[in-house]
Amino acid sequence: MEEKIGVYVCECGPNIADNVHIDRVLDAVSGLEGVVVAKRHKLLCSEDGKKFLKQNIEEHGLTHLVIAACSPKLHELTFMNVCEEAGLNPYLFQLANIREQCAWIVEDKEEATEKAIRYTRAAVSRIRYHTPLEKKEIESNPDVLVIGGGIAGIEASLLLASKDRKVYLVEKTSSIGGMAKEFKQLFPKMEPTSNILEQKVQDVLKNENIEAFTDTKVEEVLGFFGNFVVKVKKKTETEENEFKVGAVVVTTGLNLFDPTKLSRYGYGTLSDVYTALEFERMNTKGKILLKNGNPPKSVGIIHCVGREEKGYCSRVCCLYSIKFARYLKAEIPVVNISQFYSDLCVPGKSYQRFYEETKEEGVDFIRAQDIEVTESNGQMSVNYKIESRKPKTEHRNVDMVILAPAIESSGDSSEIAETLNIHQGDEGFFTEEHEKLGPVSTSLEGVFIAGCAQGPKSIPDSIVQAEAVAGRILSSLIPGRKLEPEVKISEISDAFCIGCKTCISVCPYSAIVFDEIKRISVVNEVLCRGCGNCSAACPSGAASHKHFTFRQVYQEVMEALR
Amino acid sequence: MEEKGYNADVLVIGAGIAGIEASLLLSRSGRKVYLVEKTSYIGGNVIKYEEVFSNMECATCMVAPKQQELLQDKNIELLTLSEVETIQGSFGNFVVKVKKRARYVDLQNCIGCSACFEPCPVSLKNEFEQGLGERKAIYVPCPGALPNVPAIDTENCLRFKKGEDCQLCKEACMFEAIDFTQKDEEIELKVGAIIVTTGFTTFDPTKTPQFGYGKLSDVYTAFEFERMYASNGPTGGNIVLKNGESPKSVAIIHCVGRKEKGYCSTVCCMYSLKFIHYLKHKLPDVKISEFYSDLCIPGKSYQKFYEKMKETGVNLIRSDGIEVSEEGKGMVVKHKSGTGEENGLAVDMVILAPAIEPRPDAPELSKVLDIPQDTDGFFTEEHSEFASVCTPKQGVFIAGCVQGPKDIQDSVAQSEAAVGKVLSTL
Repeated sequence: MEEKIGVYVCECGPNIADNVHIDRVLDAVSGLEGVVVAKRHKLLCSEDGKKFLKQNIEEHGLTHLVIAACSPKLHELTFMNVCEEAGLNPYLFQLANIREQCAWIVEDKEEATEKAIRYTRAAVSRIRYHTPLEKKEIESNPDVLVIGGGIAGIEASLLLASKDRKVYLVEKTSSIGGMAKEFKQLFPKMEPTSNILEQKVQDVLKNENIEAFTDTKVEEVLGFFGNFVVKVKKKTETEENEFKVGAVVVTTGLNLFDPTKLSRYGYGTLSDVYTALEFERMNTKGKILLKNGNPPKSVGIIHCVGREEKGYCSRVCCLYSIKFARYLKAEIPVVNISQFYSDLCVPGKSYQRFYEETKEEGVDFIRAQDIEVTESNGQMSVNYKIESRKPKTEHRNVDMVILAPAIESSGDSSEIAETLNIHQGDEGFFTEEHEKLGPVSTSLEGVFIAGCAQGPKSIPDSIVQAEAVAGRILSSLIPGRKLEPEVKISEISDAFCIGCKTCISVCPYSAIVFDEIKRISVVNEVLCRGCGNCSAACPSGAASHKHFTFRQVYQEVMEALR
Repeated sequence: MEEKGYNADVLVIGAGIAGIEASLLLSRSGRKVYLVEKTSYIGGNVIKYEEVFSNMECATCMVAPKQQELLQDKNIELLTLSEVETIQGSFGNFVVKVKKRARYVDLQNCIGCSACFEPCPVSLKNEFEQGLGERKAIYVPCPGALPNVPAIDTENCLRFKKGEDCQLCKEACMFEAIDFTQKDEEIELKVGAIIVTTGFTTFDPTKTPQFGYGKLSDVYTAFEFERMYASNGPTGGNIVLKNGESPKSVAIIHCVGRKEKGYCSTVCCMYSLKFIHYLKHKLPDVKISEFYSDLCIPGKSYQKFYEKMKETGVNLIRSDGIEVSEEGKGMVVKHKSGTGEENGLAVDMVILAPAIEPRPDAPELSKVLDIPQDTDGFFTEEHSEFASVCTPKQGVFIAGCVQGPKDIQDSVAQSEAAVGKVLSTL
């Protein structure tokens, strides 16, 4: 079919007309091959303008449409809708920006006109090579796999499960509840953990839309957003369980930094040095006692254990260390407590008051450096330097030392990252899609992260993230609704692909897989978001972006530079 | 929705980043959303920042696609210049009355060319620019604001305030977009749930006179400095003193108002460190001193940012008892170190990091919504540990800084969480 290109230049009132000779733009494109009509209009985005365009498309039987007007950010969608209404594939339309990029910024009207001509001719040159792109719809499964049965996994499961959405909750240990069930009380209100957590665990177990697997590991996750196939295996069984889900949530929690790596704190060598988790357990299970069976008379709590080694602040240690002082004062009112800290990190609306109230109960807060725990003649002592003009070393005798070790990513993070094909940061936590705007999504569509799997955080923040994951999934994976993947994506030519896998290494969305039989790369049309990395990197010219083909871009650039 | 006996539509109050994110997610799920915004523009405080920590991404570039998406979204009805007046009913069946003030500029006809500003004879301080720049009585807060349609400020317009027959703006408009006959409207909405994302304001540093704000000419708040650095701001991004010269030495004072408020505002350390980047980018030789009490840089990536900023040679001084006074042509920052030593540092410019606090209209909104405020004035969550985006009133959710000070990431997470709660229960 012979192409019939229509070119329409918008005056945008005086905005373009005052600084671009529009008639000269029209003259410059009228003679171009395939252009059957070139007209101007006062304001194409107005209702009148849209009607005018629609009539023109129909009247002239246009096969391609070029509009020279404002930024595509503003009205590309407006004009694409006009095309659709007029029965023209919206990808056979190109918008040349002669307002923001010409009329508004080039002072000299002659120069602005020249630039506008080049832009408009470039658009005409390119559009000849446009092909119609069609929207696709794919079936999707609304069910969800949640990996990790801690508080974040529990919260996500409870929000997601419903009569038309099943949740598979997979926990590697023998029970759900995660680390929070070790905590007797929570800062800052010192509320017992068990009441609420137990209730939530029961809610999970009773929920007929949640299938909880304990002692179970995720072996394999294949597929993509809307259509994952998951294999899990129970420790005690040899058979694998397989099921289909549309999304995956990773709530695998945290590990604590191992303080034996830092011998100066005496952990593992001195008898009454405990980690925070050990102290929590001691307090939850019974009395706070030394190894000799006596209650401690003086306790040193050391913050930031492993912070320097890890290179980040773990966010919650200051607060739970303050909470420990409350535990101690409640059990042993006469106990002396010294907190050794570097910077007090108590962000948020209620935490500073918690600190101040605890301090008033007679807890010492010592800003200390170079902390070391030693023992001589059966007496433990915390030695430290304080800030002053001349370095000054001090010490305090204590019966018990509690260490607040840094929060690390869970031990199996690398394995999970590999199974799911998601990224980990240098610190080992899973990387979010965007630091600010995508805190719980990952670069792989359909895979989400929440809680300490994403980075160190408090219980309320972990729960918020779990709820956020539910928000993301409930708004995008709707029972009965088909998914509409991005239309402007990449494709890889079977014939030209040499199987070098360069494209796979540059794809940020894990959207390209390697076909081992044909020895070529293949684009997953659901996952591809059309960033164009692969087509730029492909050494053989096999990868190309459907709406930015080499030919389209070449023709556009050559015409602009003519 | 009639047969279900409840309404699935959602009202979002406040079009900052949290409100935008919540609206977009709800719309994607197929819900009808009413987004009520008090000002004439969307984007809230985030669009005031040139760059955001810690990846130093351009904030406008980050948010603009979201704003555009929102404006083109057919499921979202944006009501600018609007405030919620009353709410009746309960979860699933709220009836909301909204007062929508007239913009006097037609949203459809206006193309945002700004031809109407120039002839306007009224000139006044631009609140968006923290008073550092001027605007007219018909205006957009800053170039690039969305929707890119001006509004007439009837408090200052000669026609509306003084009854003069001025219509210079109308005469300048080629699109017949200016319409003096528009009237304020009372709109009734029926929704099933409400998400409150009305954001924050900052502590007024004139209440802490020791920092010299309001008395000494080159003492700025963090927001003022943000606008000074912004390329679409009043100085075009140039960091200049009142005398027009570039500062040679700058002091950044953390925790302004922390003692008065009784809490740590979470983000001030990080944005104060970001200011090092701003300053060094524009003025490589400037001397910078940060006066702080405790460095609060929680999370997996923030300490790395701190270490990178430290490499610029910034002087980090842990101190208290800070006082800023005039000395000769410049200023002196007096401070006490942890060991009680007193020192003074001469600087040309002082930037204050004031505490984040609830908006002044929070008490009123709390009454309208019938939800409680805590002792600090932030809206109280249903349960501080397990339900931080729910309120004691069923069907009313909170997200972002209206619940307490937090960074953009945590505000976005809360707004997505509120959506999770709405979609799973309604």
